[in-house]
Amino acid sequence: MDDVLKRTVNQVRSLPGFPALQAGVKHVLCSTVLSVLGPAFEVVGRHVPEFRKEIESWEEGRRFSLGVLPNGPAITLEKRGSAIHYLGKGLKSPHITMSFKSYDSALLVLMSIMGSHQAFAENRILVKGDLAQTMEVNRVVNIVNAYLLPGMVVKKVLKRAPQMTLKSYINKGKVYAGLVPAVVRHLI
Amino acid sequence: MIPHYYQHFCPVKILSGHNALSNIPYEMDILGCRRAMVVTDKGVVDAGLINLVREAFAGSDKEIGCVFDEAPPDSSNRLVNKLARLFEKEMCDCFLAVGGGSALDTAKGANIVISEGTDDILSLQGNEIIKKDLLPMIAVPTTSGTGSEVTKVAVIYNEEKNVKMAFVSDRLYPRVAVLDSRMTMTVPPKLTAATGMDALTHAIEAYTCLQKNPIDDVFARAAIELIRKYLVRAVENGRDEEARLGMANASLLAGIAFSNSMVGMVHAMAHACGGVCHVPHGVANAILLPYGLEYNIPGIPCYIAELSGMLGGSIEYLEEKEQAMVTVSLVRNLLSRLNRISGLPVRLSEAGVPEDKLPAIASATINDGAMAFNPLEVSYDEALEVLRKAY
Repeated sequence: MDDVLKRTVNQVRSLPGFPALQAGVKHVLCSTVLSVLGPAFEVVGRHVPEFRKEIESWEEGRRFSLGVLPNGPAITLEKRGSAIHYLGKGLKSPHITMSFKSYDSALLVLMSIMGSHQAFAENRILVKGDLAQTMEVNRVVNIVNAYLLPGMVVKKVLKRAPQMTLKSYINKGKVYAGLVPAVVRHLI
Repeated sequence: MIPHYYQHFCPVKILSGHNALSNIPYEMDILGCRRAMVVTDKGVVDAGLINLVREAFAGSDKEIGCVFDEAPPDSSNRLVNKLARLFEKEMCDCFLAVGGGSALDTAKGANIVISEGTDDILSLQGNEIIKKDLLPMIAVPTTSGTGSEVTKVAVIYNEEKNVKMAFVSDRLYPRVAVLDSRMTMTVPPKLTAATGMDALTHAIEAYTCLQKNPIDDVFARAAIELIRKYLVRAVENGRDEEARLGMANASLLAGIAFSNSMVGMVHAMAHACGGVCHVPHGVANAILLPYGLEYNIPGIPCYIAELSGMLGGSIEYLEEKEQAMVTVSLVRNLLSRLNRISGLPVRLSEAGVPEDKLPAIASATINDGAMAFNPLEVSYDEALEVLRKAY
């Protein structure tokens, strides 16, 4: 049975156009997750005090982007006041660019199979810009992950899962409730 | 444990020996170069080390186009631009960097400016941003600690923003590293101790941090064993050629290891101590190494335990955490010994850090890039606690 399955998979893989199709699927997956992640920064920022505390010291107008090399999807975000605003798809003159070297590396992180710290350690992410500011951005990404992902996944992708209090869980609920409208608003 | 994925790269040709400088003209020939720009600092010139380099060129058809001896402790964007213009004016075709980390970083910075054809090096900070091949560079270290002769990093001070900028690229590796025991003979005992502890910290953090891998483990182990054998000897007797060459090799091996495996919280704190209070990098690493190891024991007791054998501790049956504590004790013993024979500080208070600066150091620590590779998360409060312990 295994042999039959392997043979079938190999035959599918050898079809002309399969690599292009595979790349297309990966592109769509990355693009979709980034479309959710962008608005998630806004929603988490609205409901989570530690997020606002983390960006308190950032200079006004700091822009950062997350994306996939060489020409994959990307999103750009900007600090305005006490919030992070999602500026939409594409690179919009960011000060810091964090780019995955390939779709496979991007999917590992975006699908929460691997934490961003491990992706850094495995040379999967290229950084352009000030490295100290990149560390600050990475901490904010971790907070977003902590409020966006289920507890078990958070334990796997973060070096240390944050201590969740009752108030944190309530905030997490507010994030979930606010996420879909935020994503839809940006899609329209 | 075999990592999920890792990379290793070190394209540097290594020449090591008691008179290794004499091969530089031949290496220039191989590289297709004729006229070298020597980048160094006043201390190296005053110690007479540039004369040894000049002697190496005697009788060859290669020449030193210019000696730039103004490399400061922290190279700045303005200085590397100035050096790049001088390089072009003097029609040189390769860099010969002779000195500690700052001379090598200055040459790397100027090399970036020339090769990328820009006068705005700031636009190239980050990792793997440099896209053009750099001019050949030959590195001759005069201290045994930084490992810059085999690393892909250059740190340049941004004078406008008052911060240090890191440039990381596979193109930043020198083409040749020349380890000549004569070049480190004049280093005073305290500096020998501090730079040696810097090399030990590179090796230990490469062995214990997130990017640890089997290839760099080999380099880190070899470095630690050489440091164990030669560091105290080199501090006690600076004229000991074998010990000097041993330490130069240890520094290089540790440099290869950490250039790939990177470093962790000890370096993050040391960078912060340097940035906030100008504590010499090796001194800060020496003081903070045992505290950083202690902090990481709950996360990686096995790796820290393994170090005890390399550091000369008896290998007996102990639980991992106990064995890891043996490693910390061995590092502390080495530090105490270096303190007795050279006056190397063992606490931050002895290194001139005012206590009220510890919060600023903790803030800078958690924003340091090295923190990304530390096995355990470190918050501001935790960094401050570790710094207070080391104070």
